[in-house]
This record gives sequence, structure tokens and C-alpha cells, in this order.
Amino acid sequence: MSGKLNRRSFMKMMGWGGVGTALVGCDMPSTVTLEEGVEDVVSYLSPEEYVIPGVGVWYASTCTQCAAGCGIHGRVREGRVLKLEGNPESPVNKGKLCLMGQAGVQGHYNPDRITTPLLRSGGSLSPVSWEKAEQVLAEKLGGVKGDRFAWFTGSMSGHQLSLLSSHLDAMGSNKHFVHEVVNNTVAQSVYADMFGDATPRLRIDKAKMVLSFGADFMGASESPLLYSGDYARFRTGKTRGLLVQVEAKMSLTGGSADLWMPVKPGTEGVLALGVANLLLNKLKMSDAGIPSDVREMINTYDVTSVARITGVAGHRIQRVAALLQERSPSLVLAGATVEGHTHGYASTAAVMMLNHILGNVGKTIEPGAKLPFPQLAAKRGGTADLATFAEAAKGQQLDVVIFHGSNPVYTAPASLGLDDGLANIDFKVAIAQFPDETAMAADLVLPAASYLEDWGTQVPTFLGDSAAIQLQQPLMEKLYADTRGFGDIVLGLLKQLKAADFDKFEDYYGYLRNAFASLPASVKAGASSDDAFWNGALQAGVVMLPADLVTLKSTVIAFADPRGGDDAASGLTLIPSPRMGLWDGRHANLPWLQEAPDQISKVVWDSWAEIHPETAKENGISQGDLISVSSAHGEIRTRAVLLKSMHRDAVAVPLGQGHEAYGRYAKGIGINPLKIIDPAQDAKTGELAMYATRVSIKRVAGSEQFGLVKAGGSDTQAGRKLVVTVPAEQLQRTEGT
Amino acid sequence: MSLDNILNNWSDYRKAAEDGGFYDSEGNHPYEHRWTMSINLDLCNGCNACSTACYAENNLAFVGKERFEKGHAMNWMRIERYWDDQEKDYPEKGASFLPMMCQQCGSATCEPVCPVAATYHTPDGLNAQVYNRCIGSRYCSNNCPYRVRYFNFYSYYDDAWPEPMQQQLNPDISVRDKGVMEKCTFCVQRIRSAKEKAKMEDRAVRDGEAMPACAQSCPTSAIVFGDTLDENSAISKLWKKHQVKRNVAHQDKENPEMRGYRIFEELNVDPSVMYLERVREDV
Repeated sequence: MSGKLNRRSFMKMMGWGGVGTALVGCDMPSTVTLEEGVEDVVSYLSPEEYVIPGVGVWYASTCTQCAAGCGIHGRVREGRVLKLEGNPESPVNKGKLCLMGQAGVQGHYNPDRITTPLLRSGGSLSPVSWEKAEQVLAEKLGGVKGDRFAWFTGSMSGHQLSLLSSHLDAMGSNKHFVHEVVNNTVAQSVYADMFGDATPRLRIDKAKMVLSFGADFMGASESPLLYSGDYARFRTGKTRGLLVQVEAKMSLTGGSADLWMPVKPGTEGVLALGVANLLLNKLKMSDAGIPSDVREMINTYDVTSVARITGVAGHRIQRVAALLQERSPSLVLAGATVEGHTHGYASTAAVMMLNHILGNVGKTIEPGAKLPFPQLAAKRGGTADLATFAEAAKGQQLDVVIFHGSNPVYTAPASLGLDDGLANIDFKVAIAQFPDETAMAADLVLPAASYLEDWGTQVPTFLGDSAAIQLQQPLMEKLYADTRGFGDIVLGLLKQLKAADFDKFEDYYGYLRNAFASLPASVKAGASSDDAFWNGALQAGVVMLPADLVTLKSTVIAFADPRGGDDAASGLTLIPSPRMGLWDGRHANLPWLQEAPDQISKVVWDSWAEIHPETAKENGISQGDLISVSSAHGEIRTRAVLLKSMHRDAVAVPLGQGHEAYGRYAKGIGINPLKIIDPAQDAKTGELAMYATRVSIKRVAGSEQFGLVKAGGSDTQAGRKLVVTVPAEQLQRTEGT
Repeated sequence: MSLDNILNNWSDYRKAAEDGGFYDSEGNHPYEHRWTMSINLDLCNGCNACSTACYAENNLAFVGKERFEKGHAMNWMRIERYWDDQEKDYPEKGASFLPMMCQQCGSATCEPVCPVAATYHTPDGLNAQVYNRCIGSRYCSNNCPYRVRYFNFYSYYDDAWPEPMQQQLNPDISVRDKGVMEKCTFCVQRIRSAKEKAKMEDRAVRDGEAMPACAQSCPTSAIVFGDTLDENSAISKLWKKHQVKRNVAHQDKENPEMRGYRIFEELNVDPSVMYLERVREDV
């Protein structure tokens, strides 16, 4: 590559931050080089300075495939990023990387990326230049007043969030809707109320026993790799930790349980009260700090009635209570299936109260590391904002909305009427990498750079033992010259509104450099200059910071009867189950993840409905039948998979498929269970009751038995010595201490 | 290759099977390294991180639904999920997950049946596949008790790596074409690069330096990899601790309660992968 400008800008892009000793070559993909027409193609016979052809160099960055914020190393060779691995210095994932992180390169190199701005004209989206796009956008933004403008995003943190907040301020609006289907918003609210910290550090590794009410902490959770690392230590400590999982559909984490118990969906809170009843009344643990009405409520849930309501055998409840008392410290967790009901807050509170009774706060529930800069801390989304947004749109309260990192057109239940609402919004902008449903419904689509081409900072919500800012740097030159980084786009918008404050930054990289230079000296301790600090940060991919820790309290607040009203309804409960892989549907366009089998059912490239064989029998359904799943708000049709890892009163339909757009790998595969969800909300937090919809199932007459495609040959070991299981006592004898 | 080569190969295999241990035709023990793996089934939660890392590292083609159904999937590392206690109403002890890939057998049944010696044993103890030599007879796959050999029934290049996805391909290894058998190599390219680096620096390969993609990514660190000829390596210590011996068809352990075992070792194939038994507490 020749040309002074290009070399300099390339060095700037790469930030001198190589993990290894050599800097990577400038062999940009020919698409960029030739299309720009300003560069010469130079053969390797005259190699670029710092380039060693054939030698891969690892650069640090941050994964954005889910909101956990894991640190990554990307292997770059001849200017291309080839492989991602975990960054050992990250306090979140400590060198590990899940399947979604591994598949990040397939998003980056995806053949269905949006490569130019698209503007709706005459009903369809057609390519326009950036100049035209910017001009239209400026016009629209100029004509919108205050709160009639909004941002709608997925979870956000770091300097992108702080820029976005500045933009909202400048627009005179306070409407930032943050939406995430996989969330633990209700639990965070309970944590805050009971322990005084919405994001505590849950020390699975310090617990001798974990009782998990549907918390899929190693799978679809707020930080799967942080907890997977904890889990490994939990199982390999002096005494192997005991995992008891109670849930209506076996999750990835449930598959590893010592005891997995199906519970009638929505009654987890009652089960928790039953355990509390035994702990207080039979095992004589202290009821100090429990409000009197809660104490009375506990007394009404004796083991016999709890067994009847929850479907969990009485002797099992007694055994679990006894074990919890015996194995101290323990940890009791609540997951999305507990949170996602109209009485979700009450159920979660009932579960968390067990931690108070068992004295776990301060032992296995520790204060979470918080960043000393609250403006960078993550804004984690839930579903309450989706409902609020739909209402605002339907109520004609919004004129211009910019969407980024979220796909509400796909994730919104049909009952929210978002489609009608969107029609009311005068101008919808999507900053998107892919032609997903939301981008295709927008009036203007701005092509976003991939996270492997972009600058940024990420602040994980759930950190390990120290606070940290994770740095995201481009691992290669942009594949498509017309795409722009998210930070650059927002900065561009801000320059139009507040030129005095933002014109000094040439680009988002400049903004970040400046932000890092203005960090307090205590953070930069040890670095000889701002440049040295920046280069060190780039090289490590993470800036460790002294954590702000709150002092935890252990209290129980008054909460409503977690029995709720859901159990009066008839029919099966629909579980729209997320999984590590396709997640909430955002990864359906990554073929590696389509081909990675569902961990429990082993189905690939499809949707299905999981039902217990007995339930199937009652409804005249056999394995592989096409069935209809109907709620008050719609019907979906898919194949039945009969699995005993289901409660008899539940039917699970996995999330992720049923895309009407989103590129060649996602479009037209399977169905989307979110569409038929009831619009009910949790009474206290306003989160959607995602796991409370009642459905009926019916075999669709005349359907042929056509196979779902499953990985693996056999469901049983057929007597072969493949996976041998031994009792924990044996492990204690041989490997225990 | 010549008939001699095949006969030598067969002769090595018989020696391995009968005498216990792999020797070359002169009766020498030729190993420079002996790469082996241990998988702790009590830590494996079946998450698929390893298998996806394998796709990323080894240029594995995704094949799509129809071809997957026909058994054409190229998942070198796959996770089997078994249900035990089938008679019970619910799987109370969860699922049994088994990561399964080429076991790099010491006396591999795939090797002697290859009519062109495309699969052979390396001095590193690896069961290697020479793609250029393979004629696609699929005898090896037929003879593999673990079903871990994958045949390219099609040329997947255009389908699996449409522009610009081909830019992700790992240049350290080839993309296999139609008619060729492939399988897990223990990430031989990563082993080789570790060995080359060590050679450049005039030292031995350090423990942990050669690390296959699956072991690197495993979120619970269930997979341990290393050289069992290096007595101080973590993997050597694990084999010793669990009292699992190589080159035998039956383990005679001092303490039979130690958790290490090899799948199908009774077939006298001498697998290089030791699994540690899954543990469940009776509640």
C-alpha cells in the first residue's frame, strides 16, 4: 500500500497496540483497495514495514455478541481477522469464549451485510449516498421537538452510551428505550431492594450448594462465561458443590444438575415459600428481618399445600430445605422463567428471601464491582421499555426514532401492536449491519461497521472481582468503505447540534483518545504519558480500575403473594426459551450457530416445540408431528419434539427463528414464539410476563411425519460405556481433601 | 504409495495391537511428542463452545439442513447428549454430555485399511490424514468405532464460504474438496506453530503452548491438552493421577475408583483421549 495518508491512518487504526511484537500487514481486501481507486496494489515482493507475511498477530478487543462484554483476542494475518479467542486479562471471561463469540467472524464477513445507506422512496428502500442520507436525516432531526425524538437500542455502555446521552440532551429529549429479550431486570430490581445492589457479584464458586430456580447461569444469562468459570471452581473445590435446578424446561445449566426437578410453571415463588416455611418452622432458622405479613404468608404455605401447587414431591422439598441448612454457605438463584410472570417480582423476591434466611448475603452474594464513572456504566435493557415504546408509538408521541442494536419488529409480541405504532412514527432510522426486520421497516438505514471494524468501550454490568473498561478496537480495515462506526455516526449527529463542543474531535477515535487522556491520574498510574497509557490499554484490551463497592444489606421487603393469578388459567404454559447460540434471534444469520445443535434437543436449522411425552400422548401427538400452538394472540405451527426434560404443563418453543428478513441464513426458517405472547406485565416492574402465556396444542391433521434434523445418532447409551457416572461420595474419597 | 508401505503400516498396527504400543518397522519407539487430551465430563455442560471454535479454526464447512439430515455434517468435534434412566418420568440427574472427536488412537483401526496410506501415524502420536493422498474409499470411516471421520460428499467451497466469508478461512490449513476424508487433527497446525516457535528459540515446547481451539475456548476448562512425554505437563499428571495407562486394552488400576477411562479401549485401539467420569450426587 502506498500513499502517506493511508499509511498514517492505518497506523492510527491499528493503534500500535499489537499483542505480539510485529504489527500487522497492510494487505487490505482487494474490494477496498481497488474500489477506492486511490491506492496501488503492491505485491509482497516489496513488503510493508512491520509486516511479516504469514505471521498472525493477536490484537485485543471486546466481544459484543451479547451484553456480557467479554474480552477477546483476534488473530489478524495479512490484514484479515481470522479467529477470535478469549482475552485472559478480561475479568469477565478470563480467556474463554463461548460459541456466539467464536461465531463473531461470521457476522463480520457475513454476505448479507448492508453496505450503503438505504432510503425509502416510493415504498421501497434504495441505495443513496452518505451525503444524501445525512442531508435527509439532518432535515428530519431539525424538524423534531424534544421528546418526540427517541433512541431505541439494545444494552449499551461505555463511551458510545455517553455520546448517545449527549445527543439526547442536545435534542432535548430523555427518551432512550433500551430493550433486551434475555435480561434479568426483575431480579436486578429485587437485588436492589433486598441487598442494596442491583448488580451484586453472585459467587457460585464460593457456594457449597446452589439452588437454582430456572437460572440458566451458564447459558442464556447476563454473563454466561463469568458464571461458567465460577461453576468450574464450584465443582472442583475441596468439596464438590451441589447443584439443584428447579424449572419447567431443562436449560443448559439444568442439564448439569445433580438433581433436576420439574416445577409447574409460575409456581416457583410458592416453592420458595415452602422451603422458607421448612427452614423457619421445622429447621428453626431465624426469621429475623422478615416483615410480619411475609412471615404470615410463609406460614400459610406448608409442605403439603406447596407440593400440591407446585407438583414437586413433599419429601423432595424437605430434603432440599435440609440440604440448604447443612451446606452453608449456599446460593439461591432465580432465572427468567421465575421473573417472567405477572407476579414475577413477588416470585423472585420469595426466592431471594431464602438467601437472607440462609445468611448468604456477604458470603456468596458480594457487592458487585462498580465503575467509578457512572456515566459509562451499562444500561441493560429489559422488555418494559418495549411495551412503553409500543404505547408511545401507538399514542403518536414520537416523530423520529433511531434504532440500533435491537430488533423490536422481530422481538415484539404481536399483541403489543408495534406494527401499528411504527406506522405512526414519521421517520424511522436504523443504524444496522444487517437487513433485519427493523431495518427493513425503517425509512433510512445507515450501514454500520461490524464490531471488529469499530472503536468503542464496553463496561460489563457483571464484572469479576475488579471494575474494568473493556476496549474495542478495529481488528482490520473496514470491509465496506461506506459503512461507518456507531460512535462516528453519533458524533456526526452531535457535531450538527453542538459544534462548539464536538467539532474538535476529528472522529470517534479522537473522541476516545481524548476521553482516555482525561481519565484521572490514579487510573493512569504507571504510564509515562497519555500515549503510553493508551497503547497499554489497547494492548491489554482492558483498563482495570479501582472498584466502587457498596455495602450490602440483607433485608426482606414486603412482597405480594407469589401464587399470582396465572395458575387459575387453563392450558399449557408457553416457554419461549432462549439458548446460548441463536440467543434472542440476533444470531440466526450466523450459519455456524444454526448448525450448532440445541444443547438439549439437538435439533439444528429449525424451530420445534418441546413437550413431555405424557402431554403429547394426552393430545394425540407423536414425535415429529406438525402441531399448532395457539394462544389468545395467535397461532404458530412447528414440529413436536418429545422430551422428558419438560414439565407436563409446559410447552417450550425456542427463540431465534421465524425471521421474515435478516439475510439468507435466517429468513424463512422456523417460527417465532414471541409473536403469540400475551401482553401481560409484571405488576411491580412493568416487565413483560414472557413466560406466562397459556396455549393449547393440537396435532395438525394430515401432516406427514417429516423429520426435524437432529445431531447425534442415539438418545441413549444403549449399555455402552460412553458417559460413566459415579456418585459424589466416590469423588470425595478419591479427589476430595 | 507402494505395497510395501501398506504392508509396513499393517505390520506396525499388528505390533501395536499385540505388543502394546506403537513401534516403527525396526522396533523403535519413535515418538517425539505424545499429544493427548483429557475431558472432565463432570465439568462439560454441553455448551458447544468447543465445536464452534473447531469450525472457526479448521475451515469446517457448514452443510445446511438437508445435507445435515443425510449425515454430511462436518462437525469434527460434536457433543452427544444421552438420557440415562429412561424409565423415569423425568431426567432427574440432568443430561449426559459427551464431546466426541477423533481419539487419535495409538493403534488406530482406520490406518491399516487405507488402500493408499492416506491416514498414518506421526511421530507426535497423532493419527494424520493426508488429504492429497486420499482417494475417498471411506474404508477408514467404516472402520472407526467412534464415527468421527467426515467425508466431503460435495465441494462445499461456494456454499459455505460465499464472498466475503472466504476471507475468514485459516490459511494455515487447507480447504478440503469433494471426495476427501477429514477429521480432527488435535489442531495440528497449532501444535506445529508451537513446535516451530520453540525450535526457533532453541528450547522445548512449553506445557500449554500447543493448545487446540476446543481446549482454548472451553468455558469450564473441562478439556486439558498436552504432551504426555513431558512428565511435568498438566496432562501427564492427570493420566498418572487417574491411573490410566496407554497401550492396554484393559486398565488394571491400583485404585479403581479413580475417574479416568477411555472409551472403547477394549477394542485395543489405544485412544489418546482420557475422559473423567461424570459425577452426580444422590439427593
